[in-house]
Amino acid sequence: MTPDAINRLVAQLAKLPGIGEKTAQRLAFYVLRSPPEYARGLAAALTEVVDKVKLCNQCFSLHDGPEGTVCSFCSDSRRDDRLVCVVEGIADELAIERTREFKGRYHVLHGVLSPLEGVGPDQLRIKELLVRLQGESPIEEIIVATNPDVEGEATALYLTRLLKPIGLKVSRLAQGIPMGGDLEFADQATLARALAARRDL
Amino acid sequence: MPPVGAKRLWVYVVALAMKLLALQYEHFRNLAQVTLEPSAHATIAVGENGQGKTNLLEGLYFLATLKPLRAGKLAELVAFGAPGARVTGRFLLQGAEREIAVDILPTGRTAFVDGKRAPSLDAYFGGVSVVAFTPDDLAVVRGGPDGRRAFLDRSVFNRFPAFLDESREYARALKSRNRLLKDHAPVSHLQAWDATLARVGARLWVRRRALMDELSTRAATAFQRIGRTVAPAVFDYQPSHLKDVVFATATEAELQQALLGRLDERLPRDLERGFTSVGPHADDLDISLGEHGARQYASQGQSRALVLAWKVAEIENLQASNGFLPLLLLDDVSSELDPERNAFLMGYLADSGAQTFLTTTDRAFVERASGADSRWLKVRAGEVTAL
Repeated sequence: MTPDAINRLVAQLAKLPGIGEKTAQRLAFYVLRSPPEYARGLAAALTEVVDKVKLCNQCFSLHDGPEGTVCSFCSDSRRDDRLVCVVEGIADELAIERTREFKGRYHVLHGVLSPLEGVGPDQLRIKELLVRLQGESPIEEIIVATNPDVEGEATALYLTRLLKPIGLKVSRLAQGIPMGGDLEFADQATLARALAARRDL
Repeated sequence: MPPVGAKRLWVYVVALAMKLLALQYEHFRNLAQVTLEPSAHATIAVGENGQGKTNLLEGLYFLATLKPLRAGKLAELVAFGAPGARVTGRFLLQGAEREIAVDILPTGRTAFVDGKRAPSLDAYFGGVSVVAFTPDDLAVVRGGPDGRRAFLDRSVFNRFPAFLDESREYARALKSRNRLLKDHAPVSHLQAWDATLARVGARLWVRRRALMDELSTRAATAFQRIGRTVAPAVFDYQPSHLKDVVFATATEAELQQALLGRLDERLPRDLERGFTSVGPHADDLDISLGEHGARQYASQGQSRALVLAWKVAEIENLQASNGFLPLLLLDDVSSELDPERNAFLMGYLADSGAQTFLTTTDRAFVERASGADSRWLKVRAGEVTAL
């Protein structure tokens, strides 16, 4: 019989995405065999994540500062207040940040419109985006960086219809051939979009 | 007709372009473990109903198209109690041997080319083409519009494999919009789906139009060849509720604008009824005999001849566009067709030189399509043996 403590750990680990019962067991035994400091460090890190990391109440990125402050994206004075990039999730925000090309602010929707999964505008951080635009807002352009799939496109369109009348410039990430990609290997849909969105030289 | 010798040579060249060399099924429906080497021409599975004959064709069809032959869930393709199924085919394509395989899980399918995950559907489908003829097809002419749409779309997909992804994208946008209509969502949210629906919908229209341009004349000619009906067959496709543009000549961008306009215009009605009433999903394939709509006026025999003519046209058209004949699958060849039309079909198959897979309960029905090199198989309770 395995001790209950191990069973509980395995059960918790097996809830993680991509982790099956067997892998969970392997991980649990790894923790058990490691020096106790490792397990304590892991436990502390887990607790800290849930206790400290919150969403920034301006852009809804991750934020671990004290209550009532905004995240580093929002507070960084070197960033351009006129530009806001709207993304589906944190992972997309980080992907754009890794380019080091974008120096504006962000707004994380935490999802996309998806009627089939019961997600409507009210489930996304869209109201909060509108709040940011009220009053003496410095924001001039919104870059919609949702994915180029059916839901991402609908969300982009929804935002466009909402934001354009306010007098904002609304733009969308371009779609086309990936860098270092070969034309002959590009799929038809991508090539067709790239052709449609060609630009003058 | 060319001299017999010349034709033989031509058949040989065709066989080089695409040939199925071996086929393997694992846990596909009731086929636990089946391996077979088909004939270069006719491979004929004989067996009682419910033994697994159709599963042989269903597996091959899924392998070649990634679509089920009969509508249904992926889970239904997997043998009861097995976690997943796999179908593998070894093909000779343009002179090179390729192995294509598909893994089927209840949650989805994965395509492989030569043991590696296929990077794109273009790579996967490159060079494999198949036309199926099932008893369900016989009901198409006199049945409902959805059956005819599915029938048309199978042909569009066979000709333009990219249509598979495009129609899925459309279906997803349509389902989303319909859900919102039913839920009485705010119009602002609803209209967010219209642009995507119009863009992809225009694409589907253009695809169907391109197929009809190639196929409709061929099908009318084939119908004459099958004979017994004096009135000419007309196959026509026109989007319903389309206004302001001429479908035959409009550009894709014009069609997109037109569809967007109709969606907007019909929104009050759509809201009332809870579904989207315009777009490729609401169209019909018009089939008529002379002046009369075939749906109301064609006899049982005539409507089957119309389907047969369409399939023959499709085979010829694929041969013209691909440069080689598709694989032909004929499920449950039986007394459904009258003796004369059956003789035409079997004779056509034998003369075409195509690689063919037939299933039947009685070998007498297919004798005419067989030859010295035919492979006869007996199917019984999921076991396949030489007959």
